[in-house]
Amino acid sequence: MIKTSYGLNKILTAIARQHLMKDGLTDAEMTGHELSDAERAALRSGDLGKLYELGANPYLIRRVFRRRFTI
Amino acid sequence: MTFVNDHLQNFAYNNLPAFCVGLAPTYDAPSEGGAKLMRIPARKIRGHPDWALALLEAGLDAGIDFAYSYEIESWDEISVPLHFLMPDGDVPIVTVYTNCAAPPLPTPRRCREVGAFVGQFIRTRPGRERVALLGTGGLSHWVGTPETGRINPDFDQRVLDYVTRGDLEPLIRLTHDEIEREGGNGGQEIRNWIALLGAIPGWKGEVLAYEPVAEWITGCATVWVHP
Repeated sequence: MIKTSYGLNKILTAIARQHLMKDGLTDAEMTGHELSDAERAALRSGDLGKLYELGANPYLIRRVFRRRFTI
Repeated sequence: MTFVNDHLQNFAYNNLPAFCVGLAPTYDAPSEGGAKLMRIPARKIRGHPDWALALLEAGLDAGIDFAYSYEIESWDEISVPLHFLMPDGDVPIVTVYTNCAAPPLPTPRRCREVGAFVGQFIRTRPGRERVALLGTGGLSHWVGTPETGRINPDFDQRVLDYVTRGDLEPLIRLTHDEIEREGGNGGQEIRNWIALLGAIPGWKGEVLAYEPVAEWITGCATVWVHP
């Protein structure tokens, strides 16, 4: 079973569609989004592994946090 | 006739079709923005809305419940192969977008069935049309996962061996988890290959090139499929 977080994917999709790249999200950027505390923490720090574990789509992780990847 | 997939640029988690026929009159191949990234010239390729609509309606009649879209943002899935295969850009294209990127995904078996339907549709078209089939995506690559950058040439070779033999059975038996483990999340795109092979039963692939390209974090192959 694939773990999917609609909340994470919704906010990442919104950012990706603005063609923005981030190192981490601010609390202001997350305002109004339905996210758990763990999801907010992972977005804030741009924790790639944690985002994946929490159910963010890896293509969206790659697009939004591209600068954090070493390859 | 192209079997391709979205990378969540069109379909987000509020609406994710398993199979979507493109009815767009034109496709960016690539767009101005995409051209900078891909380093190939921007251009537009004509769609073929009438042909695509006929495919859509025939599919719905036959129990293939395609979704459809009149406006598709196309990325490298169309731009890159057509840049090389169709430099004049003078042949209209039809697209079937299969969900390969946002699990749960349609099974490889179902992809073959959809491909088989498309093949049958083409063979029963009135008049004398020449139709080229194109499938893009894969082979192994890990994108955005903790294993980003990994390529698995063993998996790629297995897929290519089956394609060379025109042997779809082992491919359609692959589960989502097996593909994810051996081919990565990007490897799920072999669904487009499976659909294409489903359209032309008995045809065999001839591998023209294979290279695990580290810079593109992807096992890349070009295969010509013919009788």
